[in-house]
Amino acid sequence: MLLADFGTSYCKFLDLAQAAGQPYLVPTKDLPKDLRVDLATGHNGKRFSGRYVNELTALARGGEELIAAPDYVLLDCGSRDIKYVSYRHGKLADMGWNSECGASMGFTIELLEKYYNLDYNILAVPDRTFSITCGVLGMSHIFDAVTSGITEAEAVARFVKGIALNAYRFSGSPETLYLSGGLCDNPLFVGSLPCRVIPLGRYVLIKGLEKTAREHLSIAL
Amino acid sequence: MKLENAFDQLRPDARVGIVGIPPLAVIGRLNAMGVRIHDLDEPQVNTDMEITAPFLPRVYCAILRTAVLNALHLELDMIFIDVGPGKCDCALHVSTVLRDMLPIPVIRTRNEDHAAYGHPLCETQMALLEKFKKITAGVQSAAPYGPEKFPPCQPTAGFWGVPPRDFSLLSLFPDTTHIYGWTRCMENKTPADMELEARFNAEVPTIFFAQSFCAKTALAKFLAAKHPRGLYLDVDVTCSSSTRAKIQAFLELSGVGHAAC
Repeated sequence: MLLADFGTSYCKFLDLAQAAGQPYLVPTKDLPKDLRVDLATGHNGKRFSGRYVNELTALARGGEELIAAPDYVLLDCGSRDIKYVSYRHGKLADMGWNSECGASMGFTIELLEKYYNLDYNILAVPDRTFSITCGVLGMSHIFDAVTSGITEAEAVARFVKGIALNAYRFSGSPETLYLSGGLCDNPLFVGSLPCRVIPLGRYVLIKGLEKTAREHLSIAL
Repeated sequence: MKLENAFDQLRPDARVGIVGIPPLAVIGRLNAMGVRIHDLDEPQVNTDMEITAPFLPRVYCAILRTAVLNALHLELDMIFIDVGPGKCDCALHVSTVLRDMLPIPVIRTRNEDHAAYGHPLCETQMALLEKFKKITAGVQSAAPYGPEKFPPCQPTAGFWGVPPRDFSLLSLFPDTTHIYGWTRCMENKTPADMELEARFNAEVPTIFFAQSFCAKTALAKFLAAKHPRGLYLDVDVTCSSSTRAKIQAFLELSGVGHAAC
């Protein structure tokens, strides 16, 4: 059984038929057009499968599998949107999905790294930040800052910090934040979040699909 | 024009628009005269909302923008717009705009009716979309209900709030969803009953809905925080795919059906 999380920039797969199979990543632009999977999530998922789990459900179920604490906030930062689930006493307490004001944040962060030839592994977390609610609208802050004499690296770092703060506030400003998505591997983004961060990586939604397959589709795993 | 003089100007074949819920006495008079009533709060014309931009800010209640859009396109003879505690200040200001915009009488009313008609539809088993259609259609009639036709069911979910601008989101809920909030007040024909409006059922997962930019967003958010399994939701003109997914996930993760899989 092939599970897949079809994201905007990257797709994540797990083949349950393979013993000790590990999840893997494929850039979305490289997907074969005739690809079919058994269970899908992600905003492109319905194109590739007859069985679809919506992203918030997959995120929540992934969190239930990976997080032992009864009270937590799990935030997923994707290429084009941000979403979170909040649990209290082991039960769903709140959730949110922002695909408009939180639009294109992950995508823009990756784009800027390539455009300005930067390395987020060595950029320091800046003291100052831009006030940003959207990746696209936030770009103008960078151009204005560079025009005023701030280095491109510093301007981009402030942009990334602004995005991190926006995502943090969107998720309810928790003391501890469980983080899902590709930005877990971005030390500048993680370091810009003003709280304790526990990165869970890119495969949280895949873990949620695995739980769905096991508990709701009666797949023996 | 005063309310008491308004009816003298209406012919039996007149077309009358209503915004909000005018008092039952007004609806009863209109019913008795046999005039055709158009509920301007609901989408009636398939035209771009952008046409209302010269009259109302784009960031404004989608229900009232819809009312203005309808008023621009329907050839009406008169409008009754409720501006009392059962509606909102936004409607009061929209009534000023309508009076300036249209060549017809725009009559302000203040509905403070307190005789309870009951709310059988809110608690019966029926597709939520159908329940809302029947409740909103009921605004145009002063006739009493036949509650025996709509027996109550055991609720599995709750929908608190006003009738949404976009009814499509209602199709995501199970037939056993009970309705609370202003929609319940609507069916009860007591739109200014704040005590009834604030009621909810803590035993069932409930979506607390309000139109974006509506004053009721504050009450919806407040009550959602009080409810042990409540989710606050606001939607503007149409329900986005992410909002639909949010509703589906909330219901599914709260153990209400398994819509997604």
